[in-house]
Amino acid sequence: MNCPEAQPLLHAYLDRELDPANTLLLEQHMGECAGCAERYRLLEQLHSEIVESDLAYQPGKTLEKKIAALGRGGSARKWWSLHSWRMALVAVAAAMLVVFLPALNIFHSTGFEEELVDNHIRSLQPGHLVDVPSSDQHTVKPWFQGKVSFSPNVPDLASQGFPLVGGRLEVIGARQAAAIVYKRREHVINVFVLPEESGGKAKPQFRGYHIIGWKRGGLQYWAVSDLNEAELRQFVEMLRK
Amino acid sequence: MEQSWNRVSEHRESKPLEGKARYFEQALWPHLRSAYNLARWLARNDQDAEDIVQEAFTKAFQAQERLRGGDPRVWLLAIVRNTTMNFLRRRKQGSAEAVEAAREPADRSPDPEARLIDQSRRDQVRAAIDRLAPEFRETIILRELDELSYKEIAAVLNVPIGTVMSRLSRARDLLMEQLMMKEGERQ
Repeated sequence: MNCPEAQPLLHAYLDRELDPANTLLLEQHMGECAGCAERYRLLEQLHSEIVESDLAYQPGKTLEKKIAALGRGGSARKWWSLHSWRMALVAVAAAMLVVFLPALNIFHSTGFEEELVDNHIRSLQPGHLVDVPSSDQHTVKPWFQGKVSFSPNVPDLASQGFPLVGGRLEVIGARQAAAIVYKRREHVINVFVLPEESGGKAKPQFRGYHIIGWKRGGLQYWAVSDLNEAELRQFVEMLRK
Repeated sequence: MEQSWNRVSEHRESKPLEGKARYFEQALWPHLRSAYNLARWLARNDQDAEDIVQEAFTKAFQAQERLRGGDPRVWLLAIVRNTTMNFLRRRKQGSAEAVEAAREPADRSPDPEARLIDQSRRDQVRAAIDRLAPEFRETIILRELDELSYKEIAAVLNVPIGTVMSRLSRARDLLMEQLMMKEGERQ
């Protein structure tokens, strides 16, 4: 590979879009050509400067509320008709629950990743993310005392780029669970903690969200986020230390 | 992922109202931040970005059947992007001045070195991206801030993957130039 061939591929290499064969050839070329290696170093530097500058604009609370209202059906009249429809559904569902309870349990164990992702998505709705907003591990950890029957691990990972946002109570598998919330740039990471016996098995990916689970001291931990898999894995490794 | 999405669609048909709420919660709501960020970077103004996002979400909410098995984030971002373009075009017809204000960055100092003084690095990076032409700006935002793949960016912008690659390469050249990143100089 020569420089004119290598130069346009540097971007795809940086963005991890280059196929394995060309990756090998390009790495070989950069090992021999100081110019292309330097060019790649600059591209990498630009990339990290953009990412570290944290340039994403965040929607304001007013907009969040307006959009959330849209999801509930827009106008007040519509919302009520939707609501009464829902009440009827709830009544039917409650009746079915009594009759089909054993069957439902079977369904539950197969869709554990769905439950995790649903809880994650619900937490992103305005005002739902945390019950105890705090970046201090010594505030979040004791908050769970008396609320759940176990004590989750809440390490401080702010210096590694994963600031703590707070904690929240959740219900998973019909049992109390703890949710510890971290952030990576604008990505929210929910770490669900629950006793092993009320846990389950989950696929590593569901509806575009990454899910990583592990066990520790009789508890199941599940990290769920739309963050890319590599960074979520990095986060979990630090969390488990 | 596609598989599970299809399952949701089937579920939707039997329960229209529940399905609509579910569709909103799972397909649209999680991408509000990405949607707002893209609109804000393109429209360069908070109020316009909010109007655009509301219009785009309304369209996406009404046209759910058109999503079919597709990726909801890509689909929503494409709607946001088209809505923004229409919005800016409408404004252009309304007032030439407003468009000029939208196109031209606040800082018009011709000398890049003079521009860099008195700005934090973060502001410099933000200003450099802001100065890019819209087609380069949107490509950089989708790639670097939203971490979309080339294929996903191509789908949002409705251009071939080759165009995405050439725009990225050109955009990065321009940014390095603006940020005074030169070969052989370590920072």
